[in-house]
Formats: sequence, C-alpha cells, structure tokens
Amino acid sequence: MKLFVAEDDTVLADALLTRLARLGFDTEHAADGIAAQQRLLDDAFDAVILDIGLPGLNGLQVLRNVRVHKPALPILILTALDSMEDRVAGLDAGADDYLVKPFEFPELEARIRALLRRHRVVDSQQRDELRFGRLRLDRGGQRAWADNQPLELSARELQLLDILMGNADRVVTKEQIATELSGDGEEVGANAVEVYVHRLRKKLDGSGVGVRAVRGLGYLLAAEQ
Amino acid sequence: MSAARPRQLSLRRQLLLWLLLPQLVLWLGAAFLAYQLTLAYANEVIDRTLAKSSSALARQVKPFGNGFYVDFPRAARDVLEQDPDDRVYYMVSSPPEAFLLGEPAMPRPPLGVGAPSGATFFYNGKLGKLDVRVAAQYLPAGTPDKPELMLVQVAKSRTLSAELARRILFDMGLPLLLLISLTSVLVWAGVSRGLSPLRSLRRTVEDRSPRDLAPIEIDNAPAEVRTLASAINTLLDEVHAQVAQQRRFIADAAHQLRTPLAGLKSQTELVQAELAEAAPDLPLALRQLRQVETSVARSIRVVNQLLALARAEPEAGLQLAPLDLAALAREVAAEAVPRALAAGQDLGVEGEEGALPVHGHAGLLRELVANLLDNAISYTPHGGEITLWLARDAGQARLEVRDNGPGIPPQERERVFERFYRGSAEGKGKGCGLGLAIVQEIARRHGASIRLEDNPGGGLRACLLLPLSPTAAG
Repeated sequence: MKLFVAEDDTVLADALLTRLARLGFDTEHAADGIAAQQRLLDDAFDAVILDIGLPGLNGLQVLRNVRVHKPALPILILTALDSMEDRVAGLDAGADDYLVKPFEFPELEARIRALLRRHRVVDSQQRDELRFGRLRLDRGGQRAWADNQPLELSARELQLLDILMGNADRVVTKEQIATELSGDGEEVGANAVEVYVHRLRKKLDGSGVGVRAVRGLGYLLAAEQ
Repeated sequence: MSAARPRQLSLRRQLLLWLLLPQLVLWLGAAFLAYQLTLAYANEVIDRTLAKSSSALARQVKPFGNGFYVDFPRAARDVLEQDPDDRVYYMVSSPPEAFLLGEPAMPRPPLGVGAPSGATFFYNGKLGKLDVRVAAQYLPAGTPDKPELMLVQVAKSRTLSAELARRILFDMGLPLLLLISLTSVLVWAGVSRGLSPLRSLRRTVEDRSPRDLAPIEIDNAPAEVRTLASAINTLLDEVHAQVAQQRRFIADAAHQLRTPLAGLKSQTELVQAELAEAAPDLPLALRQLRQVETSVARSIRVVNQLLALARAEPEAGLQLAPLDLAALAREVAAEAVPRALAAGQDLGVEGEEGALPVHGHAGLLRELVANLLDNAISYTPHGGEITLWLARDAGQARLEVRDNGPGIPPQERERVFERFYRGSAEGKGKGCGLGLAIVQEIARRHGASIRLEDNPGGGLRACLLLPLSPTAAG
C-alpha cells in the first residue's frame, strides 16, 4: 500500500506520515504542487492525500492535471476550505473524497480505507473484518469474537452486529436496520428490530461493548464505561 | 453641528414660505395699485365734467359796468343742483375770493397755483365736512383801464368716486381672495407631491435593517431624489465592501489557523499514544498532554465558529430551499450523540415523528441545531438529560433543545446572544461565546425566532420557531 501525501505544512505532514507509517502504509511526501504533480505522474500510488493550498501549483490544478492521465487513482482532498463551493469545486475537479482540517485521524484512516476498498485495492494480507473495542467480526466467515472468545450469534444477530460495527460511534436508526435486515423476500418490522437488539445485547454482555438505545433516533454501538 | 443649533425649517415649509409669502405681497400690491388706478380714472371723469361746468359758468358771467352781469337762469341753476346726492357747488368771485355768487364756503385754491388766465386747474379740498374736487379758472374781468381777475370754481363731492374705487376694489378683492386661497391649496398640494419621492426615500431608509446593505431602489423618482439615492447607494456600497473585506479577513485568518491547528492536534495525539505505550507510569505528563489536547480542541472550535459566523452573516442573498427540518435536526442530533455519550449524558429526540417542511439553508440550519446541542452538552453535568423536541405549532415548526443543566438566569438571557459573552453558569470555559450569536444570526436570516426559557422540571430550553412551508402548514 503506497500512499502519497502532498501537504506544505511540515508539522502536519510529519504527523500524517508518522501515523500512516504506523498503520503499515508506505508513504511518500511532497511539500509543493509542482513536485507533487511530477511524482504523481511519474510513479504509481494506491491513494493520494492532497492539500489544496499548495505553493507552486494549486492542489486543484494538480488534481485536474493528474486526473487526465490517471482517472482511477483514489484522491482525497485534505484542506482548510470547507464551504459548499469549495467542496463542490474539489469534487468537480475529480477528487474522490473531501476532508476538512482539523480532522480526527481515525476518520481520515476510515476514509482512506473506504477509498481503497471502493477502488478494489485490497491488501492481500488484510482480511475483510471489522473491529470495535474488544469485538472482532469476520464479515466473510460470518463469525464474531470478543477478546478472541467466539460469540454464539444467529445469522440475524451477526447481520445486526455487522450494521452496528460498520457504523461504530454513529447512530443507526431503527428504520435503517429494518431496511437492511429485510431484503431476502422477508420484511422485518420495527418490533422485530427491537427483539434482535435485545438478544444481541444479552450476548454482548461482558464484552465491554454495548448496544445503546438513543431516544427517538435508534441505536449505536458504544464502549461501556 | 451642536445640538443647540436651531433646526432649519423643513423643506416643505421653506418652499411654502418662499412661494406663498411673495405671492401674498404681490397680490396686495396689485390690489393697492388697482385701487389707485380706479381712483385716478374716477377723478378724471369728474374733472372733465367739472371743467365743462366751470367753462359754462364762466361764459355766463359778463362784466357789466363796475359789476357783473350773471346770466344764470333758474333752470340752469336747478340743473346744477338737481341731483341731491351729487350736487355741484360753485362760486364766482372777483377779485378772487371776493364772493359774488354761489357757495361761499368753497375751499380756496392752493397757494402758488397761479395758472394763466383761462386754463382750468383742479385741486382737492374740504367744503364743510365734505371732501370735494374743485375745478377752477381765472378769467379776465373789469375794464381795459381797470383790469381785474375773476375766479370761477366748480366743486363736486369726491365721495362717489371713492365709493366707486372701493366697490371696484371689493368686487376685485373677493375673487382675488378666492384665487389666493386656491393658489395656496394648489401650491401646498404641488409641494407635497413634489416632496413625496423624498418621503418614500426616507421611509425606505428608515425601514432598512442595519444589516441590509443592498442598494436602495427608487423607480420613477425625479432627478434630484435619484442623485440623493445614488449618493446613499454609493455609501452603502462602500460600507458593504468594507464589511465584506472584514468578513473575508476573519474567514482567511480562521482558514490560515486551521492547518497549524491540525498539525498541533495530530502531533499531540501522536505523543499521547506514544507516551501511553512507552511510559504509562508518567501520569502527570499524560495529564498535561490532555490539557494541551483540550486547549487545541477549544481553539479549533473557536476557529470553526468564527468561520460559521462569517458565513452566516449576510453578504449576498441567502438561497433558501425547501427542506425537512425534522430530518435535518435528527441527523444533527445523531451526530451529536457520541459527544453527549462521552460527556455521560443521555441525548434523545422526542415529539413530532413526521416531517417539518420549511424553507431554509440546510448548511446554516445544521450549524444552528449543532450549536444548540453543543451548548447543552457543554453546560449539562454528567448524567444529565438533553432532549431535542420537535413539534408543529400554529403554522410554525417548533424545535427545542431542553436540558436539565443549571439553566441561565433570566437577566442573562439576552446577553448570552452577544458575541464572546460568557455566562456565569458552571461549565464555563467550555464554550467560546460565539455559539448563540451564530444561532441568532442564522435564525434572523430565516425569519425565525429564538428564545431561551426555563425548562419545566429545571434547566434550560432553547426554542426555535420557524415558519412551516405554506403548502404544508395545513
């Protein structure tokens, strides 16, 4: 996995490179637009983190020029500009995603992984699994563990856990869950969702992770204090 | 420009004064002139009659020996004296002032009138109590060896001519007065009409919100008012440009701060992770790093709020689009749930479960709801309860954020909407004092109202009322 980071702020670039390296990515860095464009056109990268306010050549210009030659390269814009117009301009210029500074690093990581997945750049060593706290879910094998202890979950409960872990720290509405659980010719109602949540809660007891009900909104998976 | 300086008369009064006062003076002058002219003409007519009478009388007086023979038949005298209202008085004297015949009280000719003999001259005088006009002529009399002068005077009352002049003046005066009144009304109406564009300009300026810097539009205004309006518009443009420049400066400064803050945040998190792994037995260093982290988080919040405020302030017209306030608010609440959980609070949504269709700017309304929720999260203690309440309320969408925190004392509720004002409540130090200012700005731009009230059961509730879209108001 080779990532390219174009960022002129040395402190931020340093932190980014360090953290990305810790996650196991190979990284390369450029601090100005001209160098960034040169490297991006010359070499092959799996994904790019691109600042807009670059010296030498504006990030949007770099993006447009690179897009002509590499239409499939996943590019994420990381910028201080957050107005609707800026976002639209960035996406119109060919960016795949847009993240505003200052950002939460886990979000950046999640977005890069999502970009890689979407572009089918899957690491052979990395398995399709989700982690949250002490929980681990193997999406392909349909199994889940808490601290390496296998959890006895039904197919519905695994589906539910998949939805919740896929939206970790985000509220998922009852309707959303019902819609995702339905599908195979079977309609799942709001009451059924409550039943599944109730059962999953019991089975997650003691795992350090709980399904919290949020009044009027839905559920979310949260670490228990 | 001291306040003690007397105020200038209003433009309307000045115009009326300058139009009506000279007009009045001119009309009065004209009336006086008319009176004098009438009098002069009336005198002329009298003078001609008198001249004839005096010549006729003179012809009847002939010297006779040492005396005079006056051939003045009774019938002729009757003719002269026939009209009792307009009697003709006469006197013949020779030498002058030695009474011979007629009315002895005839006024004397003024001194120094030594007219050549034969020529008739006129003067005014008093006969008893009567104002009279007198025609007189000196005629030669006596014998060639003893020449003598004879004075023939004929007088008529002036009352009739004065009466005539007065009547003419009166007959002229009434229509004149009417004319003056009519002219005054017309001038008043004309001035009012002429000044009406000024009044409408004043109303336009008065009704302006101080935040609205769009140019004033006055259609069909006269050139003078248009130039005034365009001068005001030029000023508005300049103010607008300056405000926009300041706003851009704030936005630029905030943007410039974002990247270094991102670096600071990222580096701090790195050190924290490293320290927690490598030296977990250094709790003081970890605690201090957390302080740095808190500080960074707050700086980031201030920068974001400044940008939100700069964006919420009107520059161009706001593009409002139909949207579902309920769905938008639920989304924002869902995003705030992790923050509330981290603060140990129970955040939920209650009330209306359907849609609340309104016209609004989605980005700004999200900012508004997020700010209300963040405020509640910041000021509600651990274990507290925060509720986003949605309802329909008489054609309006009602959105409330209720908490069971310490609340805000009533006397502070107006001030918390001011920029950088920080309440006295517990939990201060968490906000930056811009949140509610942003909320109010966004509410104002949507024609919505925002109020802070006591939450029944303790705490505070912030109430937003936004008009529902007309089609859905029901």
